[in-house]
Amino acid sequence: MSARIADRARPEPPLDPPVDPVVLTALTKRFRGKLAVDNLDLTVKAGSRVGLLGPNGAGKTTTLLMLLGAVRADAGTIDLAGVRLPRHRSRALSSVGFVAGYLPLPENLTVRESLMVFAGFYGLRRPKPIVDRAIERFGVGHLAAQQSRELSSGQRTLVSIVKSTLHDPALLVLDEPTASLDPDVARRVRIALLDLHREQHTTLLVTSHNMREVEMLCERVVMLSHGRVAADGAPAEVAAQFDTVDLEAAFLEVADRARARGAEDQGPHR
Amino acid sequence: MNAVRVGAVVRRHAIVLRRAPNRWFEISFWPVMDVLLWGSLGAFIAKENHSSQASTPYLLAGIVLFWTFTQAQFSIALGVNEETWTRNILNVLTTPVTEVEYVVGVALFGLVKLALCLTTLTVATIAFFGFDLSQVGWSVVPITGLLVLNGWAMAMLLVGLVLRFGQSAEILIFGFNYVLLAFSGVFFPARALPAGLQHVASVLPTTKAFAALRAVLAGRALPWSTLAAGAVGTVVLLGLTIGFVTWQLTVFRRRGFVTRYS
Repeated sequence: MSARIADRARPEPPLDPPVDPVVLTALTKRFRGKLAVDNLDLTVKAGSRVGLLGPNGAGKTTTLLMLLGAVRADAGTIDLAGVRLPRHRSRALSSVGFVAGYLPLPENLTVRESLMVFAGFYGLRRPKPIVDRAIERFGVGHLAAQQSRELSSGQRTLVSIVKSTLHDPALLVLDEPTASLDPDVARRVRIALLDLHREQHTTLLVTSHNMREVEMLCERVVMLSHGRVAADGAPAEVAAQFDTVDLEAAFLEVADRARARGAEDQGPHR
Repeated sequence: MNAVRVGAVVRRHAIVLRRAPNRWFEISFWPVMDVLLWGSLGAFIAKENHSSQASTPYLLAGIVLFWTFTQAQFSIALGVNEETWTRNILNVLTTPVTEVEYVVGVALFGLVKLALCLTTLTVATIAFFGFDLSQVGWSVVPITGLLVLNGWAMAMLLVGLVLRFGQSAEILIFGFNYVLLAFSGVFFPARALPAGLQHVASVLPTTKAFAALRAVLAGRALPWSTLAAGAVGTVVLLGLTIGFVTWQLTVFRRRGFVTRYS
């Protein structure tokens, strides 16, 4: 593995290992006057696996999009992979991968071509051996010659993970990676992610509505409600905070309380 | 500016062109149709009037350079829109590729498409009407350069509008060139326009470029003063449109418009 990493020509110098890949401070975002993210503080430690949870409209996707520089915050600061956004967005993103279950890959390109293009987007100078190894590692060789539009949802998600890890990111951000996948494919995706974390210590930041999956995948969960942190801790600790038996029950409790507040957050959420 | 990332943008669009036959229409089919339309019209007018500045060489040279402008505009505007049509824009925005690198990539690949288009046009004008624009000589080069820069400037305006108004503004990418076709005096001097509209034409850098083209076709020396005025206007236009698209990119991020495409 180390030889493989050393073999890759990184466009930017590697970051020091202790850097927290995500540090959000007093992050705030409004859409049409309505608060989507409210003074949010969040730090994700290097090498950790964190689930960002909450009912629809809680501010998860908005937070991720701000974190990735695709949406600009109204207030607060974002340090991504040790780099302050938005000024150094490009440098920060050279250490970050993003996977969204709902995003297609480029049409008209085969899987291999897509991976070659994205390797270039990540600034990798000799992409072919990197792409070959990534295809082999994730077992998607049989898909390499297929065009992206021919892939099933599960295959597309797997290829998205391959695409987003070509550059050995320090942080992998996953927005609903297993949404609409059947349980078997979802399990393969989870195994791929856990393997990646174990082998390369990649930090995982995951949103999901599947609480069982989060319990399997994440060692820490941050529950959002109305753009604020409603709970933060290990899955069992969060369940205990709400005096519930498991994370799903805690989630439902947060959703009930959010409804009781009488306002659904609105914004650019899926 | 990272050359590897720019190269990846070029590679991405080269593959799209290779795979999508419909993309060849804007490079070959529509330009050739315009050559047939305007070339035939010019031939007819020349036959009826014996001698006319609206005859075949003027119309064909005009349409060839109009497509030069159009290809330059398409290269950036359609290149960026490729990512919105395929819902790939969030994938791109979450990589280290910067906006400048992306635009440089599509503009560079656009020059390849422009070369293909000009080759097709040259073959068509020679084959159908025996007209070869390259016979005009090197003086056509600065005129072409000016039109390419104006095409890029127009693309910036259109990309900014699409960022702001979404898919409803995409039609302008295809339609706006025809506004300039009318106002830039592509086939006729600006003085032929209705009186009030001549003022609009006079401030457009493209009008200066096509006026210079007509002078050269008439056998006169390249009017450098006209080109210089066009160059100044082009620099101003580029500055304004780059400022506009930068502003709209900020609005795009501030209002979270990326979710329109995810």
